[in-house]
Amino acid sequence: MREFAIPETHSKVMGEVKLDYAFQLHALYDPPRVSHTPKGDFRYQDIASGEVRGERLNASVYPDSGGQYDTVRADRTRDVDAHFILKADNGEWIYVEHVGYRRPDGYYRAIAYVDADTKGAYDWLNNTTFVVTATESPDQRSVIFYYYIAN
Amino acid sequence: MDRRTFIGTAATAGAAAVLPAFPASAGHAHEAAVTAPTTFYSGPDPETPRIGLRWAFSATVFFADRIMIGSPAPRGYTSVAGGEIWGPRLQGRVLPASGADYYRGSFNTYYMFQASDDALIFIHNRGTMRRFQAPPEAGRPLTPQTTADPSTPGWMRFRATPVFTAPIGPHDWMNRTVFVANSQRQEHPDHTVFTYYEVL
Repeated sequence: MREFAIPETHSKVMGEVKLDYAFQLHALYDPPRVSHTPKGDFRYQDIASGEVRGERLNASVYPDSGGQYDTVRADRTRDVDAHFILKADNGEWIYVEHVGYRRPDGYYRAIAYVDADTKGAYDWLNNTTFVVTATESPDQRSVIFYYYIAN
Repeated sequence: MDRRTFIGTAATAGAAAVLPAFPASAGHAHEAAVTAPTTFYSGPDPETPRIGLRWAFSATVFFADRIMIGSPAPRGYTSVAGGEIWGPRLQGRVLPASGADYYRGSFNTYYMFQASDDALIFIHNRGTMRRFQAPPEAGRPLTPQTTADPSTPGWMRFRATPVFTAPIGPHDWMNRTVFVANSQRQEHPDHTVFTYYEVL
């Protein structure tokens, strides 16, 4: 595999992206329920509970506030589509959406879009793009998501 | 010359003018994979899984019409005139007049790439934009800039997250890879360069 160097002189043209670790979510799910649809298998998994821990955000998953609504391809790659609600330790509500891929080779990456109260303590989450990676228990009912800010 | 021919030609000419020395033709999709170096990131705990970013390609995009629709949540329309795609993992052009940014609350584009092997690749790109008082420094959170303090130039963070739909074939990897992008607006002529990183 050849390496393609980025020319130093192109910094005014090519924008950089850096990742800063922000927080992690330990989520517990009900067993997945899979149905066959014209678009492939549809995999629903209810998010039962969860805890967010990080320097700037501590929160709990609002129980049964959503979950995973994934489409499973013929090669078992999942198109990840997740929606759920957090309740922060100060009582504020936060919406989280994941869009990404979970591949059979272990690649589980997503983008998280987060909405919070603009007048609240977690306004910094708004208009922040998070890059997410995840590790799962063998039964896929316990998942840890790691959130990095795309700065 | 009709409108489509005109904007297609204009976009290609513009891209060539601003990117004269860049080796846009280095490697075609069907040749051996060419990649940029990967930068890895991790958390404070050594058990935090590493995550990598690697430059995949860039797109020089020329926007044209700008319209606002006064709907309950105002909807913008900024049409994509054309452009060029260059970099290690994809080369080609932005299919002229193939879509737009249909802004509502945030950047939300739908348009088409045409790769150098003629493959048509659909891009749906969601973006976020926010202005901060200063650029990021290690270990310090960013402070959003308030309207009461317009004197400091601040630092604008724009991040876009595309989802691609590519045909089965050499571009199939784009169907199962997460990307994050930055963009920089350029002048003379006015256009935007999007830089796409693969999330590894």
